[in-house]
Amino acid sequence: MMNWEKSGLVQSLKGQVDAGTMSRRQFLRLATTVGVTLSAASVMMGLPGEAQAQTSNLPFPPSDPAAVKGGTFRVGLRVAKLDDPATYSWNDMANASRPVIEHLTLVGSDNIVRPMLLESWEASDDLKTWTLYLRKGVMWHNGDEFTAEDVVFNILKWADSKTGSSNIGLSTFSALTVETGETDAKGKAVRVPNTEGVEIVDSHTVRLHLSRPVLSVPQDFAEYPTLIVHRNFVAPFSAQPIGTGPFTMVEHEVGKRAILKRVTEMTNGQPFQYWGGEIYLDEIHLYHFESENELSALASGTIDAVSDLPSDQMAFAQSLDNVVIDSVASAATLTCRMQIDRAPFDDIRIRQAIIKSVDNTLIQQLVYPEGGLPAENHHVSPVHPEYFPLPPLVRDVEGAKKLLAEAGHPDGIQLTIDCGNAGGPWEQAVCEAIRDQVKDAGIDLAVNVIPTSRYWEIWTETLFGATNWAHRSLATMTLGLAYRSGVPWNESHFASAEFDAALADAEATVDVEARRVKMEAVQRILQEAGVMLQVLWQPVYRTFGKNVHGYHAHPARQLHLTKVWLS
Amino acid sequence: MALLMATVSLLLFAIFDSDQFRKQIAVAELGGFGVAALSEADYTDWIAKRGLDAPFLERYVSWVGQVFQGNLGHSLEYNMPVSSLLADRLTSTGILAFFFFLAMVPIAFTLGIVAGIKEGGLLDRIISIGSVVSTSIPQIATAVLLTVFLSLGLGWLPSKSAMVAGFSMKELVLPILTLLIYDVGYVARMTRASMIEVMSSNYIRTATLKGLSSAKVILRHAVRNALIVPVTLVFLQLNWLLSHIVVVEVFFQYNGFGQMLYNAAMYGDIEVLQAAALTASMVAVVSQLLSDIAYALLNPRLREVK
Repeated sequence: MMNWEKSGLVQSLKGQVDAGTMSRRQFLRLATTVGVTLSAASVMMGLPGEAQAQTSNLPFPPSDPAAVKGGTFRVGLRVAKLDDPATYSWNDMANASRPVIEHLTLVGSDNIVRPMLLESWEASDDLKTWTLYLRKGVMWHNGDEFTAEDVVFNILKWADSKTGSSNIGLSTFSALTVETGETDAKGKAVRVPNTEGVEIVDSHTVRLHLSRPVLSVPQDFAEYPTLIVHRNFVAPFSAQPIGTGPFTMVEHEVGKRAILKRVTEMTNGQPFQYWGGEIYLDEIHLYHFESENELSALASGTIDAVSDLPSDQMAFAQSLDNVVIDSVASAATLTCRMQIDRAPFDDIRIRQAIIKSVDNTLIQQLVYPEGGLPAENHHVSPVHPEYFPLPPLVRDVEGAKKLLAEAGHPDGIQLTIDCGNAGGPWEQAVCEAIRDQVKDAGIDLAVNVIPTSRYWEIWTETLFGATNWAHRSLATMTLGLAYRSGVPWNESHFASAEFDAALADAEATVDVEARRVKMEAVQRILQEAGVMLQVLWQPVYRTFGKNVHGYHAHPARQLHLTKVWLS
Repeated sequence: MALLMATVSLLLFAIFDSDQFRKQIAVAELGGFGVAALSEADYTDWIAKRGLDAPFLERYVSWVGQVFQGNLGHSLEYNMPVSSLLADRLTSTGILAFFFFLAMVPIAFTLGIVAGIKEGGLLDRIISIGSVVSTSIPQIATAVLLTVFLSLGLGWLPSKSAMVAGFSMKELVLPILTLLIYDVGYVARMTRASMIEVMSSNYIRTATLKGLSSAKVILRHAVRNALIVPVTLVFLQLNWLLSHIVVVEVFFQYNGFGQMLYNAAMYGDIEVLQAAALTASMVAVVSQLLSDIAYALLNPRLREVK
């Protein structure tokens, strides 16, 4: 186990706090990223509240002495088919499974990563070797002990493109693949899992040997399709819901409900002791409601909490008595990105003309008057620890007209943007607000609203599209997935050696202050290249009855129900 | 009927035999980001594993063979046999339809008869205007108004009918009311028209001149004949219900046939769509048949011809 007292890196970070160049919150975030437990980091900062959890090293907040045991918690969410957690295609699938199967790490509502099934982790200085220390004494519901074999089974599965898991797009698992030297019909390099990249050190230690430095290993393990299944897992999960979590799924009916009951006994007859301490609820009932219907189900008493409150229902939620509205800032956003290698967007003047003719702040205030933050067309959010504040954007309609004229469109230009409303109708509102603003510069923008499912069929192919990007804890995670040259999710076809080098440099920099300085170049290159019009950061709202405790809004819309209790 | 169903199912298979449809399935199963992460070879393998790469005629013939063996296929979205899903959803819609008809028939007939007894009278005008208004309001608007008023306003009824915690009669009320408000007006108008025609006929005039009381004339002579057309119309409402139920079930999130059809279309669940189309075709043909039989049984003139 790492002795943090002797770690030069951590001591250097602590020195920055002492010198006043780093906040304690930034220290917590950074120290936990490189493997210091949140409680240990809290102790180093002299934070007594967090220190309380140090003795148990649990990812959960300290127990509430007022907490009451018992009861059934009813939550509204979409109950979908639960086949293989590695191939889950949306958050609600993981939300339904998370009380049963768990992640190696957990990113809390505060966007800070904590150890979950891992007890701790340790990164080499070059961030290419990561040692994962598994929590001991964790039992599966079938009586098996959770070991390194389980972790290796899952990681190799995620790194295998044949699984069809979106996890392979994450930096950690992508760095656990090797190119075969062949290319497929579309010219993509064929990659296979690098089995030598995942080493079992002992029954509770796994070492990852990555092909390139990756800063976000702990955060990647908290992404929603990274729930850990048993080493002998056979899909579908709903048929054999064996997990390490405090609940098991006793009933699952797609489109209707999933019933979860607290596990008291393993299938081998031995009593089950949850590793995470006290559990309050007897049962969790997940009732299928489309997100637009959840609030009215809450209002009429059918459920105790909604999993997601759409912003257009805020006024309705505020009108309800005995209801709490929790909100959190997130890095979830809509990128109206252009494919920069295809006409007319291969002319940077046209891209910049569009961007110049829009007032991002005005649209943010129009669409999310009660929350959210204006964005700056570079996909790095103020909630990210490495965010570097660039000079504020100023709308310049005359400048936009001039650029259009120079690009050969003195009388304006007609464009169409595809909008799939993947995150809700607010996306269409954003596109329409953009349409109204760019009109002043002579840009005739048509908003082509298509079904969400249709949008996801064309999202990497459409010339001009509004894509919903989920929250990720670190900006470098998203940038590596979406803007690095040639990566599968690079929907804008942006390819810049300068950007790739700047991003790689930032990704390899643990020190958050130093990384923030390096992010200036990353953000500036992306912003100046005019890859996207990204006007706002979406807030996340969650609503629940006043009798519900321990239930919070989460920036990545994850449901963490382990410590919920009802009064 | 068999020809109709064969044509419908063949057309559906042909429509869904495209790369776009295959991608729709892949996106529904793996998500847009998951599909984009696949190499071309892995994507092709994935499609092949699910048998989606076979020519549509081959898949159609195979599917027809299965249907003849009583196997309607497997739902991708629900991960269960289509026959089980269909049976479950038809039962739910059947329950809704039962209570709907139970309420609709007496209300609509009564209103239509009362309105038709004295054409142009006050009651006739009130009922006629009411019927025109109720049939003019789209069901989605009725559903919203009822929800706001009866559920969110007065708190008398649950706003959704998902039956998530088991069957609840209360959750049936709003969908039934929404259907009733439209259809009662329509059937009442048809009944009224039929009643007016009967009331102006010679045999009613004769019965009145013979000195029979108004009640006897109406109940014994007029109503029986006036209801021939409305009764046959009620059978045709089965077919109407199966199409209009989609809006109501989706709005109230009632897990019936309409919701299943909507979800299958959004997901690209082809075998569920096929089964739903076959069922709808069958209901259309059977309801027409029942309507013809009822008309023949109720109309004495047709019985004499026979």
